[in-house]
Amino acid sequence: MPLSLDVFLLILRLLLIILLYLFLMQVVIAITRDLKRSAAVGSDEYKGTPIVGHLIVVDSGPSSLLPGTRFDLEPKTTIGRAPTSTIRLTDNFISSAHAFIENRHGTWFVRDIGSMYGTYVNNQPAKEAIPARPGDIVKIGFISFKLAQ
Amino acid sequence: MARQTPFNTIKRYRWQEFGLFIIPFMILLLAMTQLLLARSVRAGLIPTSSLSTKNLPTIQGLIPVLGIIIFFFAINFLLSFTFPRADQVLLPLVGLLSGIGVLMALRIGPNLFPPDPTLGTRQLFWVVLGLVTFLVTLFGLRRIEWLKNTYYIWAILGIFMVGITLAHSLRANLNSPTHDQLNIGPLNLQPSELLKIFLVIYFAAYLSKNLDEFAGDDFRIGSIHLPLPPAKILINLLIMLGLALLLFLGIRELGLALLIYGIFLCMIYLGSGKLRYVLSGLVIFFILGFIGYALFGYVRARFDVLGFDVVNWQKWSAADQDFAQNSGLQIVQGLLALSSGGIIGAGIGLGHPTFVPVVQSDMIFTALGEELGLAGLFAILGIYLLLIYRGFRIAMETTDTFSKLLASGLTSIFAIQTIIIIAGNMKILPLTGIPLPFLSYGGSSIIANYIIVGILLRISHNTVMEREGLA
Repeated sequence: MPLSLDVFLLILRLLLIILLYLFLMQVVIAITRDLKRSAAVGSDEYKGTPIVGHLIVVDSGPSSLLPGTRFDLEPKTTIGRAPTSTIRLTDNFISSAHAFIENRHGTWFVRDIGSMYGTYVNNQPAKEAIPARPGDIVKIGFISFKLAQ
Repeated sequence: MARQTPFNTIKRYRWQEFGLFIIPFMILLLAMTQLLLARSVRAGLIPTSSLSTKNLPTIQGLIPVLGIIIFFFAINFLLSFTFPRADQVLLPLVGLLSGIGVLMALRIGPNLFPPDPTLGTRQLFWVVLGLVTFLVTLFGLRRIEWLKNTYYIWAILGIFMVGITLAHSLRANLNSPTHDQLNIGPLNLQPSELLKIFLVIYFAAYLSKNLDEFAGDDFRIGSIHLPLPPAKILINLLIMLGLALLLFLGIRELGLALLIYGIFLCMIYLGSGKLRYVLSGLVIFFILGFIGYALFGYVRARFDVLGFDVVNWQKWSAADQDFAQNSGLQIVQGLLALSSGGIIGAGIGLGHPTFVPVVQSDMIFTALGEELGLAGLFAILGIYLLLIYRGFRIAMETTDTFSKLLASGLTSIFAIQTIIIIAGNMKILPLTGIPLPFLSYGGSSIIANYIIVGILLRISHNTVMEREGLA
């Protein structure tokens, strides 16, 4: 049976619209897969290392951090410029291995691990491990954080 | 780490992007076939009663679309070797939009009054040139910080370019619709297209350098807190904003003024996260708009059309008739075109979109509505949504503040521009001469949009590199 041209054009029109929506669906699927993958990467990092506290930026000093930014603290957290640090800060006044924060039986201990510009808890230099409580100001280089649960 | 072995290249090939390109290319080929068939039917070359393979278009007719397809696959291939991990969703979306843009230009050109048979070819040329600019931006912009450190140069350059245009258009006729163009030889440049990118670079750089102050206390007079950013920041931003707005109001480009103001508010919100700044900005905007409405006749003329009742056309008075055939012609015809499209549209090549004046640039949305219907328009809006989502996603993933602000600011350009022109086409806002990104005919706009895509992909590439410690 010969296909009438009008019918053929109608089929083309419908096909065009169906393809447009198929494309949208394909993009949405690709995007959700991306999101799931990045969520999976995120949860892998925290596996077995529960988050027991936070550092909140109070004064970002010369760095480009936004005040109010939260960093997660694990039972043992290293802070520094090195990519292997738990919290990586890319500021010029942060040493590659800068500070170490540890939670021992519910108490926080902050210790400098050989930084150039120092680590302070409430303006006391933390050459040795010194105890800190939630609400204390931890200064790393020229960036001030508030310790929070 | 193993590098550049054949296996690695295959594994790191941009397969996702490749896969996403397939359906857009099918859509383009299909639409082009439909267009060619419809054209021969219109010309009475083939009988409508039956279809035979002889009547199907030959391969020559598909050349413009095949050209686009080859270009995008070539870019996919090239980027797989140089930027394997940059965002893979952006280009297929942009490619489909530009492809539809070229297709509509091919379709509309011969039917314009007067006919313009090379419109489609010129649009194709602009897209190719846009892709070249995209590659130049992507490869040239090694460090995003370079833009941050030279921001004032871009700002001055942008203002200077628009200043020249202003001087030029003040000498020429202000009532001509193309007075914001700068004619250099055969080229009609629209510097405002580049100015919007320069402005976003300026705002992003300035805000990221002064974030601390910006996040600080509100604007104060004595002890009264106003819901405005701190004084020093505000003044600096307002100088730049004021210059841009004055220029556009000077050449009577309301749409561009609106676009620039919208970008400004977006950047303020992105930089501070304080909604009250945006709200007070909107209040100021409405006050200024009201003053403009009261003072300037051309602003009032733009708003006239909003109150015009198209639905009850049987009850039009003589004055209404006159309005619909003169100053309101564009909008009224545009709405007629949209409504005649219905749900699935007339089909590409089978409508009469050229009854709408300037349909190839400002009113392209109505042409799409007539020929693809409501279903097609929703799909196109969906493409824009995903494009904008992806832009903000790129912004969210970067760690650097300047890149974040830049990427989200550039994405807001797309968003605001699309809203303003579509709302204008649909009689929700006054119609203004802003191009619909990637779909409207126009060289400057296409090139500017591809520069934006280039910057976004570069930011996405740098983010991945930094995250994996490769840079």
